[in-house]
Amino acid sequence: MSATEIVFDNVSKFYGDVLGVNRVDLHIPPGITSLVGPNGSGKTTLMNLMTGLVHPNSGVIQVRGLSPFAPEKLMKIMGYATQYDSGPRGATGFDFVSTGLLLHGFTKADAQRRAWQTIERVGLTSAAKRKVAGYSKGMRQRIRLAQAIAHDPEVLILDEPLNGLDPLVRAETIALFRDYGASGRHVVLSSHVLQEVDVFSDQVILIANGMIVAEGQIKSVRDEIHEHPSQFLLHCKDASRVASLLFAEAHISEIKLAPEGQGLLVLTRNREAFWAALERIALSGIDIDGVIPTDENVDALYEYLIGGGR
Amino acid sequence: MNPGQQIWTIARLELGRVFFSRRSFWVYLLAIFPSVIFIGHAVDASFKARRWGSDRKVSAEALNRVQSGMTDEQVLQLAGKPVTDTTRKRRPRRDDDPAAEKQPDVRRYMMYFDGKRRVDLRFEDGLLVSRNMRDLLNFEEDRKVYAGMFQFFYLRLGIFFGCLGIFINLFRGEMLDRSLHFWFLAPVKREVLLLGKYLAGLIAAALIFGTGALFSFLAMVLPQDGAEVQTFWQTIGPEQAFWYVAAAMLGCVGYGSIFLAAGLLLRNPIIPAIVMLVWESINGFLPDVMQKLSVLHYLQSLCPAPPPLPNDMPAIMKMLLAPAAPSSVPLAVLGLLALTVLVLFAAMQAVRRLEINYGTE
Repeated sequence: MSATEIVFDNVSKFYGDVLGVNRVDLHIPPGITSLVGPNGSGKTTLMNLMTGLVHPNSGVIQVRGLSPFAPEKLMKIMGYATQYDSGPRGATGFDFVSTGLLLHGFTKADAQRRAWQTIERVGLTSAAKRKVAGYSKGMRQRIRLAQAIAHDPEVLILDEPLNGLDPLVRAETIALFRDYGASGRHVVLSSHVLQEVDVFSDQVILIANGMIVAEGQIKSVRDEIHEHPSQFLLHCKDASRVASLLFAEAHISEIKLAPEGQGLLVLTRNREAFWAALERIALSGIDIDGVIPTDENVDALYEYLIGGGR
Repeated sequence: MNPGQQIWTIARLELGRVFFSRRSFWVYLLAIFPSVIFIGHAVDASFKARRWGSDRKVSAEALNRVQSGMTDEQVLQLAGKPVTDTTRKRRPRRDDDPAAEKQPDVRRYMMYFDGKRRVDLRFEDGLLVSRNMRDLLNFEEDRKVYAGMFQFFYLRLGIFFGCLGIFINLFRGEMLDRSLHFWFLAPVKREVLLLGKYLAGLIAAALIFGTGALFSFLAMVLPQDGAEVQTFWQTIGPEQAFWYVAAAMLGCVGYGSIFLAAGLLLRNPIIPAIVMLVWESINGFLPDVMQKLSVLHYLQSLCPAPPPLPNDMPAIMKMLLAPAAPSSVPLAVLGLLALTVLVLFAAMQAVRRLEINYGTE
């Protein structure tokens, strides 16, 4: 098996009678790989399998030549930002990161120095001494990311890492993924919205109902995706001002108020231009608390891309 | 880092959470309960001695001269005014003696105190019919009470449920908190993680219950008569204290391993608790080989004094509480450690197979 790839060889996982993933064969090269599929499709199961948190019923998994059954070796080169919100009970953000480093064998002084550096990198320095339990969703995402990258892993696994991030942090986080991917490391992340990850992924794996339905270079599917408008939910306090600024953009085809005053629902024909516009708005001093892709056409897109394979 | 350092690192990280876990805070109450009882007993005795001895203390010699058959007036003349003096009239039932209806029994109760002993006297129709002498603090009796409390409460219930609370939460609690993945994503073998967590639980439990045993022992010994205490410490005292503390700590070693394994294998802690409690209780009935699979069997063999079993105790209770045939001390220690290793080995197999699946918790 390859010492540079993540390999799934005929892997199946069932939770009792419930299918997790079925007969998965994958060779994931270094770079940014996105696992895309609807909720419950098996993305997290694939990630948990490659990190050893769950075990396959059949088949073999190797991560850069290492078995997930040997965490003492695998976790030295791997960082996993899970979707689970909880850390050790009562831990502050700083504790959460530095404790993980102590388990990696760093001395206390080294662990503390690295923890501060990593926390600064994800922009949480001012909140580092607060308890994780009191963090917002976006802050929890960032502290989990910090914990995953603190020991400078070769393989970075991230479960829905962009959920709940505001535009500026989102741009910084994507830049971090790009750095990692460009340096010959693995970055494997999941999303249930293809449009969310197409702008920075080197390759994409589409998964539905526990089976891999398509995989390959993102470039080949990107053009197809671009023809489909995408919808986003913007959380912001000054909704009318944000709406008026966005209406000036040519790629915006529709803006409406989200139900129950949650913000704005925006339909765009060009995601890259949309993200650029959001960054401009955020930099002009208007608060945008979060951006969530809510594309209701993702099912249709799947069928379009994979020829009705779902 | 070698595995030993990893185990110690994990134990250190876990210790604070084990000591201050809200979920198992009641463990401290179990550990201090015997101390509270003996301190309460000592305070009560001291309070009574001060109150009774302040103005009504009678010489021991005078009290020893009080004999059955003496009249209440003779006793008053001999010993002076008692601490308490009450008179009750008891009207006989008609069917006993209809003629006595107009002449009720007169019973008089007096209590004297000589500085150490209380003497209760009962007079019927003016004559002394009963004399009951009791030490306010009786060292020998208190040691028996301590032995009973240690074996029947501290080992069977206190340490048993304390270890249940501490050790079952080491993995089960993390599952419920949805934080176990944090540990599983560390670059350590699952077996090393298990031993690290076990060590954290063991240090906490052994400190809590070892200290609890020592404090309660001291609370029983120190308030006793100074000369008796001095003799006790110069003879069997230190050895008894050592073995009570050792038995408490070894109880944590044995029960800790069992409840750690139970936390990995079973979802509901009530089930292993009930099964273990029944198993430990019926241990005395089991064949010799089966007795060796009980933690309590070894712990009872380490206890320095047998517990009192009153003659009037129901037979079934006697059978349940009577210790099984004891092993020698070295065999008991080795047997307990061997049992612990066996259980920890089984727990290691379980933790290697354990998956993170919070959705089903």
